[in-house]
Amino acid sequence: MRCEEIRSLLDAHLDHEMGEELNRRLERHLLRCPACSYEARTLEQTRSMLREAVPPAVPSPGFRERAAARLLDALPELHPASGRTAARQWALPFSREET
Amino acid sequence: MPTAPIETHHESPYEKRLVARLQAGESEALSALFDLHVDRVFAFARHLLGSREDAEEIVTEAFLRAFQRATAFRGECPFRGWLFGITRNLCLDRLRQPRLMLLEPEAMERHTDHGQAAAEMETSLVVRQALAQLSEEHRLVLTLCDVEEWDAHEVAAILEKSLPATKSLLYRARRALRTQLTTLWDEEEETHDAL
Repeated sequence: MRCEEIRSLLDAHLDHEMGEELNRRLERHLLRCPACSYEARTLEQTRSMLREAVPPAVPSPGFRERAAARLLDALPELHPASGRTAARQWALPFSREET
Repeated sequence: MPTAPIETHHESPYEKRLVARLQAGESEALSALFDLHVDRVFAFARHLLGSREDAEEIVTEAFLRAFQRATAFRGECPFRGWLFGITRNLCLDRLRQPRLMLLEPEAMERHTDHGQAAAEMETSLVVRQALAQLSEEHRLVLTLCDVEEWDAHEVAAILEKSLPATKSLLYRARRALRTQLTTLWDEEEETHDAL
């Protein structure tokens, strides 16, 4: 495999989207080619630094409760009919139907 | 403002029934839809806005609007896609407003809680700085794909792009972040050497 082809496959390799055979050929090339190996390594490092610096988004504690309370407050105005029973319905655990 | 439908995921019959009940004005259905979608909608808004507080406000507003406009929802796309459209418009409005750039409390909590070393914290700050300097599209594709690890199909739908175009954007975004990081560290080295 040529360097150009290898470079075009590095992201798929990083995302584990490649077949076994292609993966093996790519890894063999990386062992022999310092330039492609550097390219692969720096891409991987960049992604792990990103994951370290930016955690998955998590709301602050109590966000769900605050948001639910705000939605509940607004219901009578948005839907006068539903607002009357909203407090009771929201407080009850929702009985989940089949998904 | 018109809301573009987004084909985010395959909607289950359960979700469809909830939406029908929402359209009939059942607050219980809003509660259930909130529970189903709030985490994804929050993550989307959080990464688009770069602020947890702003994202929380916008997400609440988005659900309110969804309830308010439920009767206008024609089911041409999954409800979540419609909700993402509302959220995106609200986020874009918010981004047009003048904002104060503050250090995110969650970043502080994370570092304080884990007693992270100063050097690691410095690296994190540089990475965040590099990310902030990327285009909005690059930032969003990187955070949704590489941080949140969402399915590329869903990210493609949110970005209103084909799957190959989304992957290509992601690959370019990774390289753009790497270039930005290299530039920032080169500048830091030069400053250090000059002292």
